[in-house]
Amino acid sequence: MVNLNSRLWSWGRSEWVLVSSRYMKTLSKLAFWAVVAASGLLAQAAPLAWQDSLEPLPPSEWNRDRAAHLLERAGFGGTPAELAQLTAMSPKQAVHSLVDYHATKNPQPPFEDSGAFDPGLDPFAPSRPAATDLAKASGEALGVKSKPAGNRKLQQVADRYLYWKRVTKLETERLAYWWANRMLTTKHPLQEKMTLFWHGHFATGDEKVQDYRKMLKQNELLREKATGNFRDLLIAVSQDPAMLAYLDAGMNLKGAPNENFAREIMELFTMGVGNYTEADIREAARAFTGWNYKEMAFVVNPQQHDDGIKTVLGKSGTFDGVQVIDIILAQAVTSEYIADKIYRGFVREGMSPAMRMKLGKLLRDKQYEIAPFLETVFESRDFYSDASVGTHIKSPVELTISTYRKLGLTDVPGIPDFNALTESMGQKLFNPPNVAGWTSGRSWITPGLLLVRGNFVYDTVFPPVDFIAPDRVAEDRFGIVSVAEKLAMGLDVTTATKPDNKEITSMSMQNDRNEDFNTRLASYHAWRKAIEKVKAIPRMPARIDLSQMVRDAGCVNAQQAVDHLLMRFLSVPVDALTRRKIGALFEYDLGTSDLKHADSYMEDALRNVLHVILSLPAYQLG
Amino acid sequence: MDQPPTIASRRDLLKALGALGVSSGLPTSSTLAATGGDKRILVVVELSGANDGLNTLVPYTDDAYYRLRPNIGLRADKVRKIDDRHGFNPGMLGFERLYKDGKMAIVHGCGYPQQSLSHFQSMSYWHTAVPNGGERFGWLGRVADAIDPQLTPNFLVNIDERQSLAVQSEHHVPVVFDDPERFARKGLLQSRLLLDSPAVTDGANVSRKYLDKVAASAREASQLVRAAWDNYKTPVDYGLRSLDLNKVAAMINAGLSSQLFYVSFRHNAFDTHVQQNEQHGRLLSYASDAITGFMKDMDRIGRAKDVTMLVFSEFGRRVAENTSLGTDHGTANHMYVIGKPVKGGHYGEPPSLTNLDADGNLKFTTDFRRVYASVIEGWLQHDSKVLLGGDFKSFSCFG
Repeated sequence: MVNLNSRLWSWGRSEWVLVSSRYMKTLSKLAFWAVVAASGLLAQAAPLAWQDSLEPLPPSEWNRDRAAHLLERAGFGGTPAELAQLTAMSPKQAVHSLVDYHATKNPQPPFEDSGAFDPGLDPFAPSRPAATDLAKASGEALGVKSKPAGNRKLQQVADRYLYWKRVTKLETERLAYWWANRMLTTKHPLQEKMTLFWHGHFATGDEKVQDYRKMLKQNELLREKATGNFRDLLIAVSQDPAMLAYLDAGMNLKGAPNENFAREIMELFTMGVGNYTEADIREAARAFTGWNYKEMAFVVNPQQHDDGIKTVLGKSGTFDGVQVIDIILAQAVTSEYIADKIYRGFVREGMSPAMRMKLGKLLRDKQYEIAPFLETVFESRDFYSDASVGTHIKSPVELTISTYRKLGLTDVPGIPDFNALTESMGQKLFNPPNVAGWTSGRSWITPGLLLVRGNFVYDTVFPPVDFIAPDRVAEDRFGIVSVAEKLAMGLDVTTATKPDNKEITSMSMQNDRNEDFNTRLASYHAWRKAIEKVKAIPRMPARIDLSQMVRDAGCVNAQQAVDHLLMRFLSVPVDALTRRKIGALFEYDLGTSDLKHADSYMEDALRNVLHVILSLPAYQLG
Repeated sequence: MDQPPTIASRRDLLKALGALGVSSGLPTSSTLAATGGDKRILVVVELSGANDGLNTLVPYTDDAYYRLRPNIGLRADKVRKIDDRHGFNPGMLGFERLYKDGKMAIVHGCGYPQQSLSHFQSMSYWHTAVPNGGERFGWLGRVADAIDPQLTPNFLVNIDERQSLAVQSEHHVPVVFDDPERFARKGLLQSRLLLDSPAVTDGANVSRKYLDKVAASAREASQLVRAAWDNYKTPVDYGLRSLDLNKVAAMINAGLSSQLFYVSFRHNAFDTHVQQNEQHGRLLSYASDAITGFMKDMDRIGRAKDVTMLVFSEFGRRVAENTSLGTDHGTANHMYVIGKPVKGGHYGEPPSLTNLDADGNLKFTTDFRRVYASVIEGWLQHDSKVLLGGDFKSFSCFG
């Protein structure tokens, strides 16, 4: 006996299968019938025995829902056309097409650098006082000479310091847009998904690194090695300038080792706490002494490298960093830690210890090759078990990108601002909260954040009409606008930069009662010069055409349109009552249930309905 | 496929939704009723970034302090002396008054064995009250589960961008929001009934159940919090940074059933490695003004007797100044227990400034969990042994 819920749900799906046959003209008749046949199984639960099994899913169990699950996890979800393609394959082929992506062409534009850097800025000063003190002592800093006479001799040096801070922040935001557009349009969704995963794993933030060029380089590295060998990736990341800067590797010197770098490698990148001793960290730190970067390249400074004998995890020798990494990789716990983390990111949480060990062994058996590991995982019965399907809480970036993808967008909207959106939901690209990266799963969701997620959809379908581009208009709280206005009215610098009591002065400006320069003035100068150099982010709202979407799906009445949207966007079924209520709302907005009549004016009502659907708690699941 | 009747008017829509079993998700008068009464309230304030305790409460008679801090040490004639040994940073008029009014317990030398010098790690130890452990739930989350097994809605509140580990709870859904004005769901009028209707929770999907629970909390709490905020007007000055304590005051003022609050001076603000004095003084005056303002506000609305505050930072800073006129990461620090119910004074032993550890850091004299225990037992009146996983001796710092 099928309950009402699943009857209505599968009605919606078989309806979809029929109407979406328009997408499938190019596919064989056989494939089409396979889809139709599969739709009969949709509401059924997976056998309990699938849980914890890494045996491949039998081809007979392949259907549209499972293809949708695969695309959701190995990518950012997709359109009905993409799903139809995957559904027409065997599960093995479908997984292979996503994992072995190098065979697929994927033309993507490179990041378009604004060209705001010049060589004088490298090495960049660790702080504003460091820059101005250096200029005061030597007559020059950051490629700018101090004035030999007159007031505020170091003003241009202070300007220069804040200019680069502003540039790298703005350019990093453009970088995030570039990446987001890649995630949206890529033909290699797993590559971008894995890059995002590694970005969280090897957390590095521009607020510390202060150089978007290094962030870009790291991002390209993570992408290039996304599904390659973990050893290659780990070594490359350990020698990556952004990571070396982020973890202060330059402070790890022979005779004065800094344990930070070695600690993060063991604790966060490979083994996890509790699997090594403090002595192991101290000894490993010695092996990494002398590792540093110069400009954009990794260097080892032999004078600063300690080449004595170290004992790490029971092994002794005159190890260097790479040898220590190999010792770490030889530990079974490392494979378990990495396999577990990948599994939690792509499949589910709450594995049994036995499952965890099984996954670790799988990764070891594959010699730390990520692609074949993922292939086994994505084909496995556990991946399609009830414990896995529709239980993953999407990260803010996953939520945003998959929403855009399912909307069929080809550009990440400029309104609302992608960086502001994802930051307000708790995940700003290129700026993870700390070395441990983002904590995922349930911690993405709070009452406040759940509302923010719903409001993201509202602002996407009904873009704000009072949008101000944050990469063009200076934030009021820095007092930049008022300084600019006062100077333009001919006030002297001291008067123009005197804080009105209401403003909250930013942290970087706080110690600056120095006659050599004025930081509030520098802040204004820096903003002006930075926006002159850094290219503007295009500011178009999403170009959504839901009317065409439901037309293409062949929906003729209001409820069918609602059912189509439910199926297209949600990974878990919605109860019959909710479904009908949304149908009633849509019909009310249209004044009819007849879509043919409403065809010329249904867009706004469709958008409203979509907002309601994507505000369901269930939409957070993928 | 059965066709529903045509829905032409808003009345028809309401009827259709009603016929389909929708009830309004808006709070009824009973859920809106003030249920807070005069229950005991605890407000925890985190000073993130490792506040420099020695320049907060200055040991102005200790030569070692001036020897180790020749440039950034605060001169004895500048500090706000509270006795013949200690004086507050010049910016902390409010703290001086709170202490002199007998409303502040200063607990000295708080720390834990094998002190981590990482902000992230150490803060997680303070959040969980389990140093060097991997506890999943926060100490305040565990307290909520223990003292409120009936799961009172909105019992535990955290005002921040992301949820703090401190309030992570097994059974409670903490109300977490940042800006009360934005703690609101956008949506057109005709959609409100759907957006605000209760979620249907069934099936075995635990993630979905969790989301439904949070959604229910968001729905109810957002309306209450916004109403509380809209109805809150205060003549009290909280200074330039309120530390979100005015939002806490609004919720207490509205008589919500919230008893545990967690706020933070955010973004590692106190991480003063470079040229710290002016900046640090400013941060401290913000904190002092906000806390003093909050206490005044509680007096004003007649709830001062019901509110205790706990102030902490994840560790202190190195005793010796660094070469950039700042301070590096250190160890032991003060904690402050503040409020009308508090028996003011000094608790614990100030650590020696000459007998330091190998890194030049203070040796802690008080396990910070003793202060948690003091608040749990002395104020919230619950046994602390199970909650804290050990027998941490309370200070009797409540009147």
